[in-house]
Amino acid sequence: MGHEATPEAPPSRFSWPVMAIGLVIVVPLIAILAVGFQHDPHDIASPLIGKPAPDFALRDIDTGREITLASLRGKPSVVNFFSTWCLPCEQEHPILMAAARVYGDRVNFIGIVFEDTKAKVNDWLVRHGGHGYPVLIDVGGPAAIAYGVYGVPETFFIDANGVIRDKVKGAVNFEVIRSELEAMP
Amino acid sequence: MNALLGRLLIYLALAAAASGAVVALTGGARPSAQRTKLARSLAAAFAWSAILATLVMVMALLQHDFSVSYVAQVGSRSTPTVITIVSLWSSLEGSILFWAAVLGIYTLFWLRMSRDRQDDPRTTSTVGVVLLVGTFFTLLIAAVANPFLDTPGPIPLDGPGPNPLLQNHPLMIIHPPMLYLGYVGMTVPFAMAFAALLGGRVGPDWTRSLRRWILAPWAFLTVGVLLGGRWAYDVLGWGGYWGWDPVENASFLPWLTATAFIHASMLEERKGLYRGWAMVLVLTTFALTVLGTFMTRSGVFNSVHSFTQSPIGPLFLAFLAMVVLASIVLLAMRLHTLAPGQPMRSALSREAAFVFNNLLFVIFTFAVLIGTTYPLLAEAFRGIKVSVGGPFFDDFAVPIGIAITFLMGIGPALPWGRATPGEAVRALALPFAVGAATVLVFVAAGMDHATTLIALGAAGFAVAVALRDMIEPIIARRRAHGGGLMDAARSTLRRTRRRNGGQIVHIGVALVVSAIAISSSYQVKAEGVVRPGGSLAVGDYSLVLNGMRVVSEPHRQRQFADFVVYREGEKVGVLSPAMNQYAMSMNPIGTPAVMSTLGHDLYLSLMHLDSREAGLRAFINPGVSWLWLGGLVMLLGTAIAAWPARKRATGPVTAEGEATAGGAA
Repeated sequence: MGHEATPEAPPSRFSWPVMAIGLVIVVPLIAILAVGFQHDPHDIASPLIGKPAPDFALRDIDTGREITLASLRGKPSVVNFFSTWCLPCEQEHPILMAAARVYGDRVNFIGIVFEDTKAKVNDWLVRHGGHGYPVLIDVGGPAAIAYGVYGVPETFFIDANGVIRDKVKGAVNFEVIRSELEAMP
Repeated sequence: MNALLGRLLIYLALAAAASGAVVALTGGARPSAQRTKLARSLAAAFAWSAILATLVMVMALLQHDFSVSYVAQVGSRSTPTVITIVSLWSSLEGSILFWAAVLGIYTLFWLRMSRDRQDDPRTTSTVGVVLLVGTFFTLLIAAVANPFLDTPGPIPLDGPGPNPLLQNHPLMIIHPPMLYLGYVGMTVPFAMAFAALLGGRVGPDWTRSLRRWILAPWAFLTVGVLLGGRWAYDVLGWGGYWGWDPVENASFLPWLTATAFIHASMLEERKGLYRGWAMVLVLTTFALTVLGTFMTRSGVFNSVHSFTQSPIGPLFLAFLAMVVLASIVLLAMRLHTLAPGQPMRSALSREAAFVFNNLLFVIFTFAVLIGTTYPLLAEAFRGIKVSVGGPFFDDFAVPIGIAITFLMGIGPALPWGRATPGEAVRALALPFAVGAATVLVFVAAGMDHATTLIALGAAGFAVAVALRDMIEPIIARRRAHGGGLMDAARSTLRRTRRRNGGQIVHIGVALVVSAIAISSSYQVKAEGVVRPGGSLAVGDYSLVLNGMRVVSEPHRQRQFADFVVYREGEKVGVLSPAMNQYAMSMNPIGTPAVMSTLGHDLYLSLMHLDSREAGLRAFINPGVSWLWLGGLVMLLGTAIAAWPARKRATGPVTAEGEATAGGAA
């Protein structure tokens, strides 16, 4: 071993600049990571909850008729953003249809197409057993932007007064729909 | 029985690691021989206990001993035997146990390789630091992630099996262990750097030994990163191999700093320059491996890799904070003792190229780190979730990558010390011409993407430098000594082995860079729904759906779509992408099918599949084969550079030979 090149430990002299630079780089990073623990990465909170739902005026994929959220007031609404290229959307589609059959008389169910074309959606709907509720085309995505849609599927639960009560990210199941609707005032 | 035995071994490992660390680190500047011996025995006890505990777990998995909590969690009687063994690292508790076992293996290696320098107090301190890390991990296992608990309630007859993503591809058998060998292996260089700073003595001999110890984990990390890309390519089905996923980044970050260290250490060894900086890089590399494990296992990051939010996250973060703070304090105390060597004399020198190289690697590391943590930052301050996508990373990765590729050629071409502009021009002219010729060849082949062409030019330039660097000494020797070309080659190559290994690694990197440049800008894509008898065209291929079939296996059901592949009307083969439905999992998982040639891959991936039709995505990915080939070349070069010399590598004899050859790695 070549000890000749390695002198004995000299007396310590603490370097505050080194300490300061190190801390400036590292402390914020660790603080950020620590903050990360307080959140479930899959739970994407929406600042819209508790606020009036943004209105939209979108054309129905079948009739071409324009439907606005305002015209749906008086009953709670379930607004589901979906697309044909998303697998969880396929999963939840039959559940949404079943829910629309059960609650359709008391609750509006609305599907809004996210970043997709009309032709593909029509084809997709045919293959997945149709749709028991209106599906609207969001050309250019103004509704998705207004609702802060992050990735499909996302489902918004809006009460009879047009206030967003909750938002569910990912495929919904029947239990979720039931408990959300039962929690409506 | 297995559970009890496993628990006992874990407690034993914990006790040995904790007491060994105390013994090794409290002996003062010159620990006694007895103390050293005791510390080493305790280290061996830790290592064997950790390894045996892992073997007990493997036995329990193979015996389907569902009384062990971890087996009940990931085991299944229907899983094939190989996958059963692999289940060891398929979930949190098992992977941390495996971590400890790998640390045990490295500890044994360190004990063996340092037998002859037990009188060096730094050796004992290194053992102490390794054992501190070992204490943390065995404590984690014993306290919060114990896989050896008794299964509560009646013992189940069967279990759910491991995560389907892990069962779905044979690469899962080697990709995680490679990454672990890389991550965990960084513990030893970290401990060496820490020990050297603790003793206030970092010398060229210690740095040389340190580099040797970092090369193996660096090589494992290289393989791990590339295999991760390969796995993403073969399994995830989006047609690419790198998505800047947080966990991919986590494996890439320590690779960047370790690569920077390998280069910085040569400056240190050769010129005594940047001694403290080299230590900073080693300490950072280890901190980044801890961060990587944290990212994978804490659930803070939303990623294909992180399965759950787990209680282990905060503990990991605390450990990370301790590692980093201890490193900073130590550097603050000792940095002034690392006297600077000869100052740099010219920007036209190999030293300068190394410094630029390090600068670029550090910027790269910071940028990836910021991109990876930005979503957390945005959430903390603005309360929104954002995702930072590939384009953000590509924006800086492309220019930095190209600059590093250029430097990879400039560094070895310039001499140490100072080059006159004339010398520099002479040294760079031929490689530069090769780089320009490379660009022309690809332009002639029809490429017009500017960034891609620049990257290819840089790669051609670097390859030319590397080849010349390997061939020139052979010619020079033959001219000086006469004799046959083969004799000259043999004797030259033996003497310049480490340097040649480095240059071969550079050639591998150039291949990887070229593959990335080409595949990322010339992908061809087609998408559509195909019914039996129907077809989809992509490039000059036509894919005709012959039909679907279902194959049942004990643990899964596979549904294949058989596509006959025609190229310009001629049948060239059959590709059968599949959807796999695992018993215990809701969503089916796809398996793409790939037809690989040296020029391009034809890549088919299913979006959905039922008995009537297939939703197909087809890609033509040019140049991807060269990515894997480049990786193999890098590995070969590392093996050549790191292969132990016939004479003891740390001895003074080879030290001289290596110092003269210390051009590349």
